[in-house]
Amino acid sequence: MWLKWFDFRKKSLFHISYSLHRLTGVVLAVYLVMHLSYLTSLRLGRGVYEYFISTTLTPAFLGFDILLVLAGVYHGVNGIRLILHEFGIAYELRRPILYLCYVVVLVVWLYASYVLYSYVMGV
Amino acid sequence: MEEMEVIFRIKRFDGEREYWSNFVIPAKKGMTVLEGLFYVKENYDSSLAFRASCRMGICGSCAIKINGKPKLACETQILHLNSNKIKVEPLDNFKVIKDLITEFEGFFVKHSRVKPYLIRKEDNYAEPVELIQKPSQLSKYYDYSLCIKCGACYSVCPASSSRDDYLGPAAMASAYRFIADSRDEGYKERMEIVCGDCGVWRCHFAGECSEVCPKGVEPAKAIQKLRFKSALYMLRKLFMG
Repeated sequence: MWLKWFDFRKKSLFHISYSLHRLTGVVLAVYLVMHLSYLTSLRLGRGVYEYFISTTLTPAFLGFDILLVLAGVYHGVNGIRLILHEFGIAYELRRPILYLCYVVVLVVWLYASYVLYSYVMGV
Repeated sequence: MEEMEVIFRIKRFDGEREYWSNFVIPAKKGMTVLEGLFYVKENYDSSLAFRASCRMGICGSCAIKINGKPKLACETQILHLNSNKIKVEPLDNFKVIKDLITEFEGFFVKHSRVKPYLIRKEDNYAEPVELIQKPSQLSKYYDYSLCIKCGACYSVCPASSSRDDYLGPAAMASAYRFIADSRDEGYKERMEIVCGDCGVWRCHFAGECSEVCPKGVEPAKAIQKLRFKSALYMLRKLFMG
C-alpha cells in the first residue's frame, strides 16, 4: 500500500510527474546524506577527503553523476511548476506548462551532462 | 462499426478470493459498458454484483475501472473503447465488498466532515428570505457543485492511497464549493477542518483527480485554491488570533 503512489499504470503525465518528483526527491535525499558524509570525512584529514572525492571524479562514476544531475534538474524544475500551481497561479495552463517543464529539463540536463563529461574526461 | 463481439474481463471478489471471469458480449452501436454488465447478469452469471441507478451520469453509482481508468459505466460506450477486450475492475482505494461493489461509507463520512451545506448564522424557517446571488458570484463555485460523488477522483489520488485519514479530492472540492459561495457564513468552521492534519496539506498535486473526473469538476484546482486560502487563514490566525 505504501508504494501505491508509484503506480502510474494507465495514469496521465501529471501523475507520472508526481511519482517522478517523489522518486527524485528520495534520490536527492540519499545523495545529500552521501554528500554530507564525504564532507564529514574532512575531520579525518585532508588526505581521506581527497581520496573519497577522487573516487567520484572517474569515468566509471560519470554515469551516476549524469543521472544525479537529471534527478536534481527534474526535481527543481518540476518543483517550480508545483509551487506556481499551489499558489493557484496558471492552473488552466497546467498542460502546456508541464510540457514546457519537460523540455527545460531535457535542455538543461543535456547541457549539464556535456559540461560534466568535458570536465571528467578532460575533453 | 455497427456490431462486434467484445470480451468483458471482469475482476470478481466473492468475499474470500479474487478471480477473473470472461464473458462474450454482442456489442452494438451505442451500447454502454453498464448495459454490457446487465447483459452478463441476465445471460451468463446472475451473481455478478455491480452498482447502477440513473443510467445517465447523474447519480455516480456506476463508477468502475474500465481498461485501467475510472469511468462511469453508463457513459462509456463499448465501441468507443476501440478494443475487443475490455477489462472491468472495481475502483482503487476503496474496500471491495463484492465484485465491482466497493465500500463508500468512509468516502461519504469524509464528505460530511467538510459540512457540505450552506451554513447561515441566522436561519428563519418560519419566514424564509431569498438569498440573492449575482451570476458572477454563482460562477465562482458552479463548476464544483457539479460533483456527483462517484469516487473516481478518490480512487486515483496517491495521497488517499497512502493515508486513510486524508479527506480526499471530492470532499475538498465540496469544501471549496461552499467556501466560495457568497451565501455561506461557515468560512471559519470549514477552514478549521480544511487546514487540519487530514486536509489540503496532504495533497501533493498529482492532478490525476481532475484528469479522471467524469463531470469536469477539477478537484485539483479547488484544492490549490483552498490551499492558498488555507495559508492566508493560518497566517491570520497566527498573527491576529
